[in-house]
Amino acid sequence: MTVATTAPPDAAQQAAAQQAARRRSARRAARRRRLTVLAFMSPWVVGFGVFFAYPLVTTAVLSFTHYDLLSSPKFIGLANYRFMARDPNFWPSVRNSAWMILIAVPVTVAFAFCVALTVSKAKRGATALRTVFYLPTLAPPVAATLGFVFLLNPRTGPINQVLALLHLPQPLWFDDPHLAKPSLTLLGMWGVGAIMIIFLAALLDVPVHLYEAAALDGANAWQRLVHVTLPTISPVILFAVITGVIDGLQYFTQGYVAGTVAGGGDAGAGSGSSLGYPEGSTLFYPVWLYQQGFQYFHMGYASAMAVVLFVISLVVTAALLRSARHWVHTASGSW
Amino acid sequence: MKSRHGMLAATTALLLLSACGGGSGGSVSAPPSPKSHKPVTITLWSGFTGRELGIIGRAVQKFHASHSWITVKSVGGQDDDKIVKAIRGGNAPDAALSFSADRLGSYCSSGAWIDLGSYIKRDKVDVNSFPKPSQGYTSYQGTRCALPALADVYGLYYNTDMLKAAGFSAPPKTASELMRMAIKMTTYNSDGSIKVAGFVPMFGFYEMVPAHIAPSWGAKWVGADGKSSLASDPHWATMLKWQKKFVDAIGYDKLKRFTASTGSSEFSASNLFETGKLAMNVDGEYRTAFINSEHPELHYGTAPFPVDDAQPGLYGAGYVTGNLIGIPKTSTGDKREAAWELVKFLATDTGAQVLLSNGLRNVPTTVGALNSSALTPDPQFAKFLDIYQNPGTDSTPVTASGSADQDLLTAYVDKWQAGSGGDIHAGLKKVDGQIDDELAQSDGGAP
Amino acid sequence: MVTVASLTRRTPTRAATRQRRARFLAAVGQHSVAIVLVIIFLAPFGFIVMTALMSDAQALSGSLWPHPFRWANFHDVFTSTRLMRYAGNTMIYALLSTAGVLISSIPVAYALSRLRWRGRQLALVVVLAAMMLPTQVTVVPQYVMFAKLHWVGHLAPLIVPNFFGDAFSIFLLRQFFLTIPQDYVDAARVDGAGEWRILLSVVVPLARPAISAVALFSFLYAWNDFFGPLLYVGENTSNWTLSVALANFRSLYHVQWNLTMAATLLFMLPVLILFLAAQKAFIEGVTLTGVKG
Repeated sequence: MTVATTAPPDAAQQAAAQQAARRRSARRAARRRRLTVLAFMSPWVVGFGVFFAYPLVTTAVLSFTHYDLLSSPKFIGLANYRFMARDPNFWPSVRNSAWMILIAVPVTVAFAFCVALTVSKAKRGATALRTVFYLPTLAPPVAATLGFVFLLNPRTGPINQVLALLHLPQPLWFDDPHLAKPSLTLLGMWGVGAIMIIFLAALLDVPVHLYEAAALDGANAWQRLVHVTLPTISPVILFAVITGVIDGLQYFTQGYVAGTVAGGGDAGAGSGSSLGYPEGSTLFYPVWLYQQGFQYFHMGYASAMAVVLFVISLVVTAALLRSARHWVHTASGSW
Repeated sequence: MKSRHGMLAATTALLLLSACGGGSGGSVSAPPSPKSHKPVTITLWSGFTGRELGIIGRAVQKFHASHSWITVKSVGGQDDDKIVKAIRGGNAPDAALSFSADRLGSYCSSGAWIDLGSYIKRDKVDVNSFPKPSQGYTSYQGTRCALPALADVYGLYYNTDMLKAAGFSAPPKTASELMRMAIKMTTYNSDGSIKVAGFVPMFGFYEMVPAHIAPSWGAKWVGADGKSSLASDPHWATMLKWQKKFVDAIGYDKLKRFTASTGSSEFSASNLFETGKLAMNVDGEYRTAFINSEHPELHYGTAPFPVDDAQPGLYGAGYVTGNLIGIPKTSTGDKREAAWELVKFLATDTGAQVLLSNGLRNVPTTVGALNSSALTPDPQFAKFLDIYQNPGTDSTPVTASGSADQDLLTAYVDKWQAGSGGDIHAGLKKVDGQIDDELAQSDGGAP
Repeated sequence: MVTVASLTRRTPTRAATRQRRARFLAAVGQHSVAIVLVIIFLAPFGFIVMTALMSDAQALSGSLWPHPFRWANFHDVFTSTRLMRYAGNTMIYALLSTAGVLISSIPVAYALSRLRWRGRQLALVVVLAAMMLPTQVTVVPQYVMFAKLHWVGHLAPLIVPNFFGDAFSIFLLRQFFLTIPQDYVDAARVDGAGEWRILLSVVVPLARPAISAVALFSFLYAWNDFFGPLLYVGENTSNWTLSVALANFRSLYHVQWNLTMAATLLFMLPVLILFLAAQKAFIEGVTLTGVKG
């Protein structure tokens, strides 16, 4: 806000008074604006404090205690963290979750991309195809998992019936510790619709002239895919991978339901015997955290596990974003 | 809206300051017997469902008839995990009936269930009216936070028609006999899958778990030094090796396919033993009542579980575990007093015990009810009363870590029977370490 | 943003006779891939429907086609379980959560997109961080808090937090609000409208697609949620939602696969109907989440 300085003295005085008045009202306006902002932001400010910041701090504090929600927390130093090394289920649960992130996520993202590519190439009925591929995403995870456990039942499931008709081997699927996670991956691939839609939109947004230029240079379909399509949609791939990793870190429902239902147990009770069935292969990190925290009520230990999960999430997300600089092409500044 | 924010913020601050301090733990002293009988409604949780829940309902009616001021809402399908959670979450019932006596240690030591000692003294309940084993598993380190409310005893069920068809006249008495007979009675479909099983030796199938058959090998959970003794007691390895041999003789893969199709049919009318798809099975005495109501046409017998060939003297013993009934700490005032009346009634009233035993076909847990002429055991059920009173009959230890010992062993035997358990001695030693860790730490350490 | 119309846009081809043949073959290949994919994606639904119509014994026999069709399963599933009660609870949870998310997230998104203030960028980053962290990180103290309030066992712990802004919805709405031309807002401001007026009479009507998408996603999230209901109402069967009920269905009611699959189907149905009725909003919404990566 600049004011002219060439005005005569009396006028200058008047201007100064005006300016002060303007400043006062500007200050008032600013205060009003600040209040407006605060009013608009208030739901989130309170929500962030009560449901996020405070629990986050408390989790860290509780991780140094023994706490069962019946008696007051007892400070035990680093004992919870030390116990992780000896906890027979801790490392297996880390490995199971890592499997989902390192294997299931890339497979699912690649599959989503292929499906999107197929839809984008369809000359007719693209809308119908899109609907069909999106539909499974809507199936509630518990319902979808139950459905898959039934479909993949080794003896009575329709899939193995079909395989038997074709004289193909009939795997044990959810009852085989080596196939339980691949079976869950199949379930994830079935529900790939959302990422597929995003890929599809991105694919259709790739400027046509890029393909034309590549074709003029004599690039074949594969080269066009690698050198034109993938780089152009790389921000969307990054998005899909990040989303997948975040979901992978909290992968719970499908693993929990598949393990308990296939194990013949009761999913609500999470009875210790069928936990992670078969042979602990579906005991994912969040499942074990839930079991420790809300079945055994070792809430101090569960808090320590939550802190570790927090750190891992930060590191993984940061690493992904950092690596993205090398392979993601950004056309313009994003948000 | 505004006031709610305020309330939440205030609560938050309070919580932060008090570091989420717990409520009233520690000892409980009973108030003097109430004079007035103000109408009160209490909730009772149990794991029973369907027909069995109806039996509980009848016992509750009987209670209401003599305690007209107390109305009891009986809720079924509430197993121990739900009870534990509800006590923490603050929405627990006034009285809870648990199926698993091995939880007692954690209920007592954590204060989740109140110490009944002062109530027992006030109302002069005679603890000696409970048989010895039931006295044991309702008390942990001198704290009695539950009373016994019937017990479950495990043994062998056998289908007499199927045995006869295979040329057998009596149930097996030794482990090797069981294996031989079972293999002979197992039949297969044309594709090689099991059609009818003689016996399913897979751990995790129905009630076939290490704890239920361990007494038949005399295998002990805890050694003289108070430490887990899975590796040091050689009977565990003997039992597991027998079981693995049995599994391999039929084929792990075939058994897995067979059991995978059964899902959670155990407590339904499509139970494999009840429907003749299984010739022999390890199960609890309650199965007799299921068979009576669901498949009365089944011809079957019951016997003690076959024992280790090297220890024929063990024959007749079995596994026992009791139902517990107690009062979660969240029940207070009039409700707690009423809950105690209900607990006392279900645990000590001969009529109630007999009614429950005749209906559920569970073993009664008072001397009076065991000797009552109103108890009407059929021959199959009577066998379990014998097993219950056998001196070799054993239970799982009551520890502060609940059933962690069994959970940890289960995790190992799952691998063991699949063939990925490695050296058995090393494997059991590792489980021992894990159990001891849990034990050492559940009294205040990590976790 | 990509519109639906553009999805069916065809890539113009530079016709060359030599290429046409290859293109035709490629098209045949692509279409057969598409057809195989369609079969794979629809097969699970087909098997579930078939099983839901079988008798108990038949479902376990491994046959693929119901014989006879047992429509009574859909009746039985209501009479033998408390399905209506669970559906009612799920509906309460989903509707109230959706209302809460909308009421609380729209103003926040507005402040993060159309108001200029210091710390806005930081606030946005914090919102994003909250969106990215696994729910399990903060779950222990939240549970303790609700236990002390005696809310555990009720639907309140599931619903109430939604009235305090949902990070994902805030982010999605903000992205959309940014695309609204400043001219509209300025015009309203010149007319002397306050920020609330601008939000309600200018931004909200223009942002209807994004708001519908947020509403749909919130509804869907609550409808499908399992972890929350398991944690907070797991031990109170009267307040179970469909997710928790279905996971316990088989052991609790001793029912077999045919009824379980019938219930599964009924559980999916409202969402599928919602989708078919509001397909456009769904697809636009999903696209919106990914468009800015």
